[in-house]
Amino acid sequence: MEIREAVPHRRARSLALAGVAFFFGLWCLLSYAGLVPDVILPSPTEVVRAFPVLHFEEALVRSAGWSLYRVTMGFLLAAAVAIPLGILMGTFPPIRHFFAPILDPLRFLPISALVPLTIVWFGIEEMQKVMFLFMGTVVYLLPLVVDAVAKVDTVYLQTATTLGASRWQAVRHVLIPGSLPAIGDALRVMNGIGWTYVILAEVINARYGLGALITVAGKRSHVDQIFALVVVILAIGMVTDQVIRLVNQKLFFWKE
Amino acid sequence: MARQLTPLGRVLLVVCGLALIGYGLYRYGVLDRLAGVLAPDRKQEGTVTREDFGAVAPGTAPSPAAAKGALAGGSRLARPIKVAIVTWGGYAGGIVANNGFAPNRECLFHRDYGIQVELLVIDDFEKSRDAFRVGGDKGGVDIMWSTVDAYALEYGGLRRLDPKAILQYDWSRGGDAIAVDASIRSVADLRGKKMAVAEATPSHYFALYVLTQGGLTNRDVQWVFTSSAVEAANVFKAGQVDAAVSWSPDVYIAARERTGARILASTKEASNLIADIFVARGDFLAEHPEDARRFVAGWLKGVEQANANPDRTATLLARSFSGIGLEDAKGMLADVKLPDYSETRAFFEPQGSLANYHSIFKTAQGIWRRIGKISETYEPYQTVDTRFLEASGEFFPAAGPAKAEFEFKAPPRPAAAAILTKTVSVYFPTGSATLDENAKAVLETQVVELAATFGSAYLRIAGNTDDVGSRETNLRLSRARAEAVTQFLVSKGFERNKFDVVGHGPDKPVASNATEEGRARNRRTDFEVIPR
Repeated sequence: MEIREAVPHRRARSLALAGVAFFFGLWCLLSYAGLVPDVILPSPTEVVRAFPVLHFEEALVRSAGWSLYRVTMGFLLAAAVAIPLGILMGTFPPIRHFFAPILDPLRFLPISALVPLTIVWFGIEEMQKVMFLFMGTVVYLLPLVVDAVAKVDTVYLQTATTLGASRWQAVRHVLIPGSLPAIGDALRVMNGIGWTYVILAEVINARYGLGALITVAGKRSHVDQIFALVVVILAIGMVTDQVIRLVNQKLFFWKE
Repeated sequence: MARQLTPLGRVLLVVCGLALIGYGLYRYGVLDRLAGVLAPDRKQEGTVTREDFGAVAPGTAPSPAAAKGALAGGSRLARPIKVAIVTWGGYAGGIVANNGFAPNRECLFHRDYGIQVELLVIDDFEKSRDAFRVGGDKGGVDIMWSTVDAYALEYGGLRRLDPKAILQYDWSRGGDAIAVDASIRSVADLRGKKMAVAEATPSHYFALYVLTQGGLTNRDVQWVFTSSAVEAANVFKAGQVDAAVSWSPDVYIAARERTGARILASTKEASNLIADIFVARGDFLAEHPEDARRFVAGWLKGVEQANANPDRTATLLARSFSGIGLEDAKGMLADVKLPDYSETRAFFEPQGSLANYHSIFKTAQGIWRRIGKISETYEPYQTVDTRFLEASGEFFPAAGPAKAEFEFKAPPRPAAAAILTKTVSVYFPTGSATLDENAKAVLETQVVELAATFGSAYLRIAGNTDDVGSRETNLRLSRARAEAVTQFLVSKGFERNKFDVVGHGPDKPVASNATEEGRARNRRTDFEVIPR
């Protein structure tokens, strides 16, 4: 293996498959061989058996749909706020310095502490869940956007100015297109954050939702169902990740 | 003239076509059926009514077939027994016996019983279950806390660990409560209201109990489910719901902070509903039965000391639990009742106390099954192992049969408002005040359980008649009938002073006396639960 060696597409794919197979094999080994008791790590068979129950009795698909909706809405809202604000902050340092003292420490906020506040502000219906996910996502997304704008090479900016670009033209034709691919990558990473908060987002009044299902499965000590639900979340995460990657490739083709 | 469609036109055409097909599928119910296959809705919940709670009359459960063998075999444990607890006053007995949480040699557990115990505070429910699954040998715990109702819910999921209930350490006495807004005066007012509760928890069970005894079902309120009791209290505090079931101190704080709010009912009145128990892993009990016996005995000795010195106990609790001051600790102790050796023995006997492990487990299991939280059921005796309790008898030679816990001195104030009124049709032959076997069976399932569960509360028994016959006769008859019902209950082991007997005659009809159906509804006995 060379440092930063180029891996051909086909080899990359087979390596990825081998990686998945390795971890699946490890799971099989640990569970079937009894190295970890099945009450802690259920075997693949048990997890598969949990699916029909979840599907026919616990409204798995509807729950997945609702969770996907909440995470996506929170994510889109976060993008809608973080991209314009982040570009402004990245372009004009005074604006960045104005917001930095409040926005930077927010990333350290234990997000579960926000649940009672979101109840007071947004009630107990869908708005509360979406806003909670929005708040959890936006604090991480914003610094990445600011960073993406700041990282656009000064050379481009100087060239544009030399060619007589106005301030608005420099932003419009240099900074925004220059930072968009990196912003696209940031969005891809941040889409995952929402899913890590899904249990917290659904602690209140979630008639359907994968997070709410995990909570109740825990109260009933159904470890197999918890794992099955985690598998569903991972699968949704992988699919949405690929979708965003493809969209990024199409939209920001000038990246490379 | 043939014209080529533009790409946009083609797309529009396809969209219109799809929309038409989609509407057709929707119109003829195909979509609904498709959704039923691809994304079926949650299994329909059953309706929980008061019959679900009366179904297991106390004292009629089968005798336990569990092995009553001696505690032979096994080895002594070479490490401390690890026990998962939460921040709650019910652990006072063990904390006194252990003189704190950490294992040590300067305590009752080690001095008198030769064991060391480590109490681990794991406030997160799921985490405590994880620790129990891992087991004490591998960094988890050997024994965990539960409540009988919660244990009935999780037993199926834990069954492979062969868990057994070994000890009751407290009754919740005020630890669980229902906070309501100003518009709600009694349980009947909860109809149609929004009620926050942590799903599938003791709060949920408590709520179902109180609702059904007050004449409602689980379908009569709008549930707002939360993942923990603290969230339920927060939702109530924020004014988003009309009622919330939560635990102490959150529920009391929420009721205090919201304007006009109050506590409608708590386990202070429903004193024999939420029982906290210790559940031990099957492998731990099989391998170290003698340690388990000493743990049970030491804990109950600690209970004796804790009950004898409440002030010292509160000080120790405040010192042990983080974030708990002395006043908090006193409040925590006031929210629980620590049963002594005789009481916990009686609790585990199927024919023991009026509200016992077997009746609560079985009832709770029926409720969870009815609302689709479990599918398999188990016999209570499979889930419990009383050998350790029985074998601890030598340490409690003075223990006699359990005594009545509550004293009812004066009758309730006539103006005292009832938390709930349970209306039962007790049939009497015309003009008679004698209970026949049918009437006794109705009382056995519908009222004995109510009176036992609301152990600390008064029960006002009010006889009512229709308007046939003279008012004087009816007044006298309704009172005599209420008295007959009272005598029957007293024969079941309740104190006479617990009951307040009233005869309303025809004065309080609930339906019109013009029809036979209305008159039948008016011939009834009301059981009003009145807090002490």
